[in-house]
Amino acid sequence: MKIDFWGQEFEANMILGCIGGFLIAVMSSMFGFGGGPFMVPLLTVGLRLPMYIVVGSSLLAIFFNTSMSSIRHYQFGNFDLVLFLCMFPAALLGGYIGPQIAKRVSPTVVKQIACAGLVLLGLNLLGLY
Amino acid sequence: MKKTVRLMPFWMVFLVFLFLTSPWSAIAQTPAAPDTGQVEPQTMGAEPAAAEMAQPAPCPARPTVQIDKTSLNNGGEIIVTGQAPPGKPVFLEVWAADKTVRANRFDSKKDPKTGKIPYVFYLTYDMPAYYKIFVPKTAQPQLDAIKQEGKKWSFSKALETLEAGAAYSVPAKMSIERYKATIMASIIGSRGNLMPAMDDQENKKSSMQLVKSRFQSADKVLGADIEVNPDGTYKAVIKIQAGLAPGNYKIMAAVDKDLRSEPAEFENKINFPFVYLSVAGTSQNIFWPFLLTLAISIFGVLMGAGGGFILNPILVSLFPLPHTIVAGTVMPTVLFSQASGIYNYSKIKFINWKLGCTIGAAMLLGGFIGPKLTELITLSQFKFAFGWILLVLAALMFWQTTPGYLAKNKKEQAVLKEFKKRAEEAAKAKQA
Repeated sequence: MKIDFWGQEFEANMILGCIGGFLIAVMSSMFGFGGGPFMVPLLTVGLRLPMYIVVGSSLLAIFFNTSMSSIRHYQFGNFDLVLFLCMFPAALLGGYIGPQIAKRVSPTVVKQIACAGLVLLGLNLLGLY
Repeated sequence: MKKTVRLMPFWMVFLVFLFLTSPWSAIAQTPAAPDTGQVEPQTMGAEPAAAEMAQPAPCPARPTVQIDKTSLNNGGEIIVTGQAPPGKPVFLEVWAADKTVRANRFDSKKDPKTGKIPYVFYLTYDMPAYYKIFVPKTAQPQLDAIKQEGKKWSFSKALETLEAGAAYSVPAKMSIERYKATIMASIIGSRGNLMPAMDDQENKKSSMQLVKSRFQSADKVLGADIEVNPDGTYKAVIKIQAGLAPGNYKIMAAVDKDLRSEPAEFENKINFPFVYLSVAGTSQNIFWPFLLTLAISIFGVLMGAGGGFILNPILVSLFPLPHTIVAGTVMPTVLFSQASGIYNYSKIKFINWKLGCTIGAAMLLGGFIGPKLTELITLSQFKFAFGWILLVLAALMFWQTTPGYLAKNKKEQAVLKEFKKRAEEAAKAKQA
């Protein structure tokens, strides 16, 4: 499929994109996370698209997944209104404060910290320590 | 541009849908709370009368139950005393009488007799939010042995070894639905075909399995705290931990299948900031999830990944929340930040609608199936899989800090800036 972006044209393998997107969607909706960090590598490495197309478009693709799985979780009775109401304002506030701090810290350092934290959390969940 | 116009109504309609459905469930839930408040004084009045009736009854066979207080404030200790026929073990069954939760279990274990995998999904909405059987202190070694079994323990076997089967009554009467799951049904996201109702014996057996899948650890549903004296009097200090469901609790003493006491009642009260989560079946100090979400969503913005990755595992590890509830509630939380992100990108025309919608369609299908699968796995499987996902994510994060990636990113950031500048100029030109 041809992708037109600001006058530039890119050729992308949409079959790979759709299969990958489908699998990421199953996983992310099953475990309740967004899926952005998996979508971006899929589109940049798998489909060889440049980062600046991917950021916005992957967000759009993920939004489809999140809205569908929110409806499905609601149908299955997995939605707790009270818990939602106490997390939702915090998420909004975090989304407001976050970008202001982001200007002052190096994203590489944050990613290194996150990397270490994720390994620890992952090993903890696997029951290895 | 045309596609922008066509898509806008879709997600706006969805947001409206979400806003509309939430108050409905709020209305449906709120009447329940004042209701219990009104019923409560009546039962309080009736309770001493029932105790008096039970006490002077000359029949010595029936055990009695007295409790030292009738209300608790978010947990505490209750001293239960009573009289039972001498020389027999006494069991206490304690449960939350007016708060029930959902419990489900997917049976995919091979039947050792037939060699077939049943693939049956059991579901009930009648599980008490709190349920525990207390056994005499002398059974402590057996109970410890059960705890040693770890996650593989079986509630029905535990009741057998503790000889506490007589005390098990309330969950046995739950109405349990069971569905025959098929691969096809799971793909389209249905629970499968409803199977005929079970008879009492089967119902009791599967209710025990549901108790286990709901409360997970043996610690939560079994305790050896009753001191039984040779003359048949007994005393137990029952600890009701903080963070349980509010409302009426009942205690019933049992010696034998037919020898059960009248239930004694007490009330567990919770106050703000503790709030009862009716789907999760636990009370929670709401400031903790708030602060946790705040910290993690800030960190999520910084590292460029949604907070759900970190929020979900921490929520299931720290709080007594079922993984289905966590997954189902975190999902809509990130929805709005995504929507605002899309809006901001679309303003500067940084979204390729063709690309986003094509992959979005595939993801829509995946999102339809995923939530069904959450129900089919247990909490420990959830944690295990999530552990691996986080390790993969950590590897991805590490890759993003490697010099090669950073150099490429820098180049693309420069292009991005150039495009942004152009977009702003275009906007200005339009205004002029």
